[in-house]
Amino acid sequence: MHIAEGYLPPVHAAAWAAASAPFVIHGMRALTREVRANPESTLLLGAAGAFTFVLSALKIPSVTGSCSHPTGTGLGAILFRPPIMAVLGTITLLFQALLLAHGGLTTLGANVFSLAVVGPWAGFGVYVLLRRSGAPLMVAVFFGAFTADLSTYCVTSVQLALAFPDPGSGVVGALAKFGGIFAVTQIPLAVSEGLLTVLVMRLLVQSSKGELTRLGVLLQGGAEKEAAVR
Amino acid sequence: MLPIDAAAHGSRWRGRHPGEKAALGLGLTVCAVALPPWPGAVLVAAAAVAVLLGPAGVAPRQLWRAWRIPLGFCVTGAVPLLFAVGGPDGFVALAPDGPLHAVRLLLRTSAASLGVLLFAFTTPMSDLLPRLTRAGVPGPVVDVALVMYRIAFLLLDAVHRIRQAQAARLGHTSRAAAWRSLAGLAATAFVRAFDRAQRLHTGLAGRGYDGTLRVLVPSAAVSVRFLAATAGLLAGLVALTLVLERSVL
Repeated sequence: MHIAEGYLPPVHAAAWAAASAPFVIHGMRALTREVRANPESTLLLGAAGAFTFVLSALKIPSVTGSCSHPTGTGLGAILFRPPIMAVLGTITLLFQALLLAHGGLTTLGANVFSLAVVGPWAGFGVYVLLRRSGAPLMVAVFFGAFTADLSTYCVTSVQLALAFPDPGSGVVGALAKFGGIFAVTQIPLAVSEGLLTVLVMRLLVQSSKGELTRLGVLLQGGAEKEAAVR
Repeated sequence: MLPIDAAAHGSRWRGRHPGEKAALGLGLTVCAVALPPWPGAVLVAAAAVAVLLGPAGVAPRQLWRAWRIPLGFCVTGAVPLLFAVGGPDGFVALAPDGPLHAVRLLLRTSAASLGVLLFAFTTPMSDLLPRLTRAGVPGPVVDVALVMYRIAFLLLDAVHRIRQAQAARLGHTSRAAAWRSLAGLAATAFVRAFDRAQRLHTGLAGRGYDGTLRVLVPSAAVSVRFLAATAGLLAGLVALTLVLERSVL
């Protein structure tokens, strides 16, 4: 879920933009270095960003019976690494705000922090830890995507709780309120996104070994020699 | 092409400099967020609707179809403010000022959304993105955004057609089939995105591609009159809000 335009008070909107800025600038520097070293990367990174945008437009069936959208941040972070995802996620959120009226410009900083910074880093962290501890690729992919999705919504809950503290119990009560609402829908959705990401990765291992090897997800030689981590 | 972007390409204000439209649209959004919701957000919303339907020439139906999306998020987002948790009235109870806070939030978010829609309905991405380099965004990042913008529409179209083909082959008849179809859809989108990028690279390499995407940007001069009118409108909204607020108090 993106925080809608105008939802956050001005001070909160500015604070979250300031918190996101270092990660986005770091990602922009990494992307610029990559493109200067390999000019053809512009097109591949553009394709990766377009894939992220389209992934966030797919509807996944939810356990609660409704449909929702995957965040795509877990798969994106595993495939393209978190610094690049900070930039691609920011561009995707800008496109969604201007082309689909999802999210907003004053809330872009807050949405970038949850969806393009915390989600990818948390998901990638879990993925790396599991791979280093010897877990199979698909197990690491599932928990990476699950964590990325859930951490995104946890951060969104914190952002909303800080902006709208409960009149009786303050920020803690508001966090329980927003977190409780999200938990009903988002835990099943995080499981759904984890399962979907595993299915997508299985298909990619079968059909796109070349791209996955180039991205560092697989080692040279095929799926049976998956990269532990770089 | 997505409806908002299609409308922006055919907008009456297409030829105007994006900076002018950003000053107006985002200025209205900032006013909606910064001014008191009553009467500030109401005045901002009225001004934004008047500009959108009047000088900007956006069709009312198009505006409603785009606005109802953020409006839906605003309504769902306002509902939690109606309740208090862990207070003296029980674990969950109606918040004393909940309806007031919810209405204020609704006014603020709906007015702010209209400001962004004013910018989005009049400024195509293809006019905005190349100019971001002048705002300090590194060239390679803008190039990646341009490629994303061009490939995203092709991918969305491909995804739509693949979904239709899956439905025609009974790909959504059971939960298991729906999951298989969805995974296949995402994986095909990945493969097609990279295939498109490879083909784009091959085509550009044949035309002397050196890592920089050079695109023609329609020239547009910044209109001082437009900016002055924008400043006047925003200042008028701020002044009217403060006057009305004091007279009500």
